[in-house]
Amino acid sequence: MTREEVFEHVKGILVETLSVDEDKVTMDARFQEDLETDSLDLVELVMTMEEKFGIKITDEEAADIKTVGNAVDFVMTRVDA
Amino acid sequence: MRGDRGRPYTSPHWVTDAWSAVTDDRVVRVVVDAAGGDNAPGEIVKGALDAAGPQLQVILVGDEPRIRALLPAGVQNVSVVHAPEVIGYNEEPATAARAKTGSSIVIGLKLVHDGGADAFVSAGNTGAVVAASVLYVRRIPGVKRPAICTIMPAMPAPVAFLDVGANAEVRAEFLRQFAIMGQAFAREVMSIPEPTIGLLSIGEEPTKGTPDVIEAHQLIANDERIAHFYGNIEGRDIMNRLVDVIVTDGFTGNVGLKTIEGSAKAILGALKATIMWSTKTKLGGLLLQKDLQILRDALNPEEFGGALLVGMNAPVVIAHGNSKARGIAQAVRMGRRGAVSDLLPTIARELGTPGTSV
Repeated sequence: MTREEVFEHVKGILVETLSVDEDKVTMDARFQEDLETDSLDLVELVMTMEEKFGIKITDEEAADIKTVGNAVDFVMTRVDA
Repeated sequence: MRGDRGRPYTSPHWVTDAWSAVTDDRVVRVVVDAAGGDNAPGEIVKGALDAAGPQLQVILVGDEPRIRALLPAGVQNVSVVHAPEVIGYNEEPATAARAKTGSSIVIGLKLVHDGGADAFVSAGNTGAVVAASVLYVRRIPGVKRPAICTIMPAMPAPVAFLDVGANAEVRAEFLRQFAIMGQAFAREVMSIPEPTIGLLSIGEEPTKGTPDVIEAHQLIANDERIAHFYGNIEGRDIMNRLVDVIVTDGFTGNVGLKTIEGSAKAILGALKATIMWSTKTKLGGLLLQKDLQILRDALNPEEFGGALLVGMNAPVVIAHGNSKARGIAQAVRMGRRGAVSDLLPTIARELGTPGTSV
């Protein structure tokens, strides 16, 4: 899976599950400040990513995911592994 | 709306009788969290048994041996699912909802999500029920935040009040969605055909309130989906039922709800003390006894059982933590009402994003 493909998947989760405005979702977008998601949204995002990509994300790893780019990069390391 | 003929206020029974009277053939399966609440599992099981019937199958989730010990032999319309864990009142909601997959709340909500049940009722940790509902039952696509919508005693008849605790902080757009969901709740659950909507603020003028409330006023006023927007209302208008649906953020709503509950209790206590004051007042109280009991019932929050978490893919009922059997039975009936009514399809139609899926 390419970085762009992973980005599209993450964007899909944000738009469909968390009702985030599509045009706000960029690689640099910060979850809390730019996308106005709360802590529960982030847990929902993490769980949906686990389901969609078949990976496990620990609470510690999840705490480091602060931007859309962080989420995409994290998935890339796991999917390639 | 049916009222007690000639009375200055309406007993809440007009709402709850409608839930108890099953007028359709549909069998609804309601999951009841037998481990949640101050009086679990005894009062929870008792209330669930009171509500159970051929068209209301109850699934009790919790410590199976303890629950079974409370069930009469040969009990019908009730089943038990074991849950080895409990989410306590002090646990961080989202973390507990994710980690405690063996808890009664998570097991019960997953059962609903997987199609094994139609509605969920819990008197447990409210934050955890909200978080686990979002994670396992999921929001209706298009719903930005679910809201806790309660039916609150008011004069002359109860009102719908949301959000009373799911979202401490909100944006204007969330308040607009709460107005739409509250309108659907009043129509479909409370059977008020043309509900009026009020936005709680600190003044009637559209320019009064926080920036989010001022913006929300404009959004709601210009939204075609909201048929009857009254405008801003103030705290004093809640109990006087100026409108059918009151919209606010979860922090204000929770403070408002509990202030009113506490005030009602204090006033009823003072009334009782006044009646017991002397022989003369006791005689007067005796003459009014039946009418005062009706007034007490009209102000009793337990009569409605619980509040519905609106915006989810299934009815989730949050009961008072201190619910006794009556409150739980009413909450279970509210779960059934939520499942057989058009509440969810209405919210999905009005807030749904076409072409998306969970």
